[in-house]
Amino acid sequence: MTRKLAAEKVSAWYGPKKAIEDISLDFEEHATTAIIGPSGCGKSTLIRCLNRLHETVPKARVEGKVLLDDKDVYADDPVTVRRRVGMVFQKANPFPTMSVYDNVAAALRLNGVRNRGKLDKIVKQSLEQAALWDEVKDYLGKPGVSLSGGQQQRLCIARALAAEPEVLLMDEPCSALDPIATAKIEDLIFDLKTDYTVVIVTHNMQQAARVADTTAFMYLGHLIEVGGTRELFERPREALTESYITGRFG
Amino acid sequence: MPQAAERKALEKSLQKLNENMVTLAELSELAIRKAIDGLTRRDAEVAREVFTLDQEVYGLQLEIEHTCIDLIALHAPVARDLRTVTTSLKITTDLDRIGRYAKDLSELTLQFGGKATGERADVARIREMADRTIKMVDTAIDAFVQRDAESVRNIMEVDDAVDRMHDEIFADLVRRMEDRSLDTEVGARYILVNRYLERIADHAVNIGLRVVYMVTGDWLPRVRAADRVKRYPK
Repeated sequence: MTRKLAAEKVSAWYGPKKAIEDISLDFEEHATTAIIGPSGCGKSTLIRCLNRLHETVPKARVEGKVLLDDKDVYADDPVTVRRRVGMVFQKANPFPTMSVYDNVAAALRLNGVRNRGKLDKIVKQSLEQAALWDEVKDYLGKPGVSLSGGQQQRLCIARALAAEPEVLLMDEPCSALDPIATAKIEDLIFDLKTDYTVVIVTHNMQQAARVADTTAFMYLGHLIEVGGTRELFERPREALTESYITGRFG
Repeated sequence: MPQAAERKALEKSLQKLNENMVTLAELSELAIRKAIDGLTRRDAEVAREVFTLDQEVYGLQLEIEHTCIDLIALHAPVARDLRTVTTSLKITTDLDRIGRYAKDLSELTLQFGGKATGERADVARIREMADRTIKMVDTAIDAFVQRDAESVRNIMEVDDAVDRMHDEIFADLVRRMEDRSLDTEVGARYILVNRYLERIADHAVNIGLRVVYMVTGDWLPRVRAADRVKRYPK
């Protein structure tokens, strides 16, 4: 396996408050890495450092390196970084005034793609990859927000995929969804790793166990343990990990 | 996978599982002790008590299986909890088989009746093997109850000694039947006694290895084929 993305001694602050400390973690290419941990442990902060989103928060700052293909993203243009490292958020957030089609095409248009044939092709391909095409192909002109919660989240995934990222970050992508919609997203995550490197933050440990190749456990801003998902859930090395995954705290 | 709020319900089920496992283990060990006692003293009454114990072992095994299935379905245990549940599920089969062999030994006791007293097998040697086998079962069960992986790490070596004893007793029984110092029917029954004891020791090994996994997460390989090659070279 090749390392696609890596955090090297990453620390992050919100004003004076340190949210994560000295995190070093590799993300393998074409694999899914899950980050688990109790609320407030810093898992969302960590992935927001990976595509330089953390620095957009007022008074927030980052130290350490984030390497994408072994080059520090903090030495690159943040817009380029975010195009290469896409993100899906906890709450589906389709652009409210845009149709299904326009939501997916938005990133392409921002990047100057005007050719209708090319737009049609990428929109269809992205919706297919997000396992949404069959459900919306006859309603592409409808508002994105008219879709169900699960469909809206897949629309947001399609929107992220349309920008042709190399890494997809997902921050609690299923926390607002019912079990059926969750299963569809999980199926999708399973398929997406063929083409992308996926990082998912989840508080749902079963979800991590189902979709991830590697799982990392964070607690109070520290990375406690990282390992193969099966090993971490069957025989964790750290007592703290064992306590958390067996529900003794959290 | 349990959240903190579900932990209480999971703990309760795990506690019930553990209590039932300890009872099952005690019943199985009692069954084998009584079976050997009945066989040695040719006591039909004791032999019949073993039949009742075997029934209890079987009933409790089924209850434990259901508890384990409920635990998996309702709580999705992980880490040590998962290892405890899966180990319990596996060990119940071994304990049930030990109970079954105790019953089989007791059936042989009834078949021997009073007839065998004049038929001299090396009873002392068989008794010695039975004691070793019971000790193995006792050690494995203690290890489970105490969650002690260290005490059973060498259980395969102890089993090798029991296996060697089995082979020696078998050869001795065959020799005695050949030279007609031992009635063939009685000798054949002793061969079964010998075989059942050896199998009980194997189940004790299974339990021991599972306990190591439950406590530490380590799988200790059981080398069966290699053992056979070593014991029966071409």
